[in-house]
Amino acid sequence: MAASSNNPNARVNLEHSSVLLIDDNPKSLDMLSSIFQGFGVKEQIKCESAVEATEILKRRAVDLILVDCSMPELDGYDFTRWLRRETPAPTRHIPVIMLTGHAAQSAIHKSRDCGASFVVAKPLTPTVLLRRILWLGGDEREFIECETYVGPDRRVRNFGPPLGQPGRRAGDLSTHVGEPAEANMDQSDIDMLMKPMRVAL
Amino acid sequence: MTEVRATKIKSTLATQLARPGGRTIADAKRLAEAGLQSHKAGVMEDLGRLIGQLEDLCVAADDTRQARVYALASGLVDMAGFFDTGPLYTAGYSLCDLTERMQANGIWSWPAVEVHVKALRLILAGGCKAGAEADVLMQGLKRVQSAFTPAN
Repeated sequence: MAASSNNPNARVNLEHSSVLLIDDNPKSLDMLSSIFQGFGVKEQIKCESAVEATEILKRRAVDLILVDCSMPELDGYDFTRWLRRETPAPTRHIPVIMLTGHAAQSAIHKSRDCGASFVVAKPLTPTVLLRRILWLGGDEREFIECETYVGPDRRVRNFGPPLGQPGRRAGDLSTHVGEPAEANMDQSDIDMLMKPMRVAL
Repeated sequence: MTEVRATKIKSTLATQLARPGGRTIADAKRLAEAGLQSHKAGVMEDLGRLIGQLEDLCVAADDTRQARVYALASGLVDMAGFFDTGPLYTAGYSLCDLTERMQANGIWSWPAVEVHVKALRLILAGGCKAGAEADVLMQGLKRVQSAFTPAN
């Protein structure tokens, strides 16, 4: 099970993970790289264009992709769509975190339908990013493939947060069940509840 | 009806995260934050330069450069969004909304852009601090925005 981001003493092991960072702004790329270095990621592949990233992914797989939504030539949405539809497994299943700054109206449907595992809106903090990565570590969503959509199941609301992770939505139930209030019932107790019996009054 | 295939996948990321070792969450956050902060001074200089380019566009008021205003504002939001730049981020976002809306509706107002750019400059000069002054600026920008919001 993935570590809970709420427990600061829990450990996160990304030492052996390879992360592909894609952003056309070299400064943003450097900042993302510094964040991932802090998380302990030793293998980072930095790309200033999504087209360059497609070439890399044709040759090798990575464990996580971070892509900026807005880029010239091939934007983050079309890149993710390409990844999900045009690459073989397991490359097509790689978790993708999409970073957005200003969400243009024209991009809202693209964002929903491209197949990203998570869309993270700026302002971005290392805490938020790490929480999302840990969430992805415990992500139990099925991978959906149909004519109109390829990517992780978008009906995440019905599943609730992954075990051990706090929910982000107001309606999410607590994952903490707590200690049992009394001893387990034995089979005869259960049978008593299930079987109607004649009693003499 | 189209065929839908649902597959249970365990990503390599999940496998990596489940391995023992690594660093504590607290250390990971602290080191990542420290790494990010090492870029802050350079980014603030870049933001100043971006605002300067927006100021130049306002002076020229060349209608063929409208798309450039959105591109610069969007770049500003992208960079500012890595740090706690509070009102600067909000004002930049407002400029993105405004320019997108004006372009979509075929109405363009350079004064409306200029008000935003002046606000950005003031906020940056004030160290991007939230407070009463920033609130007044934001309210002003909201009023400018509402002038370009189509009535429902």
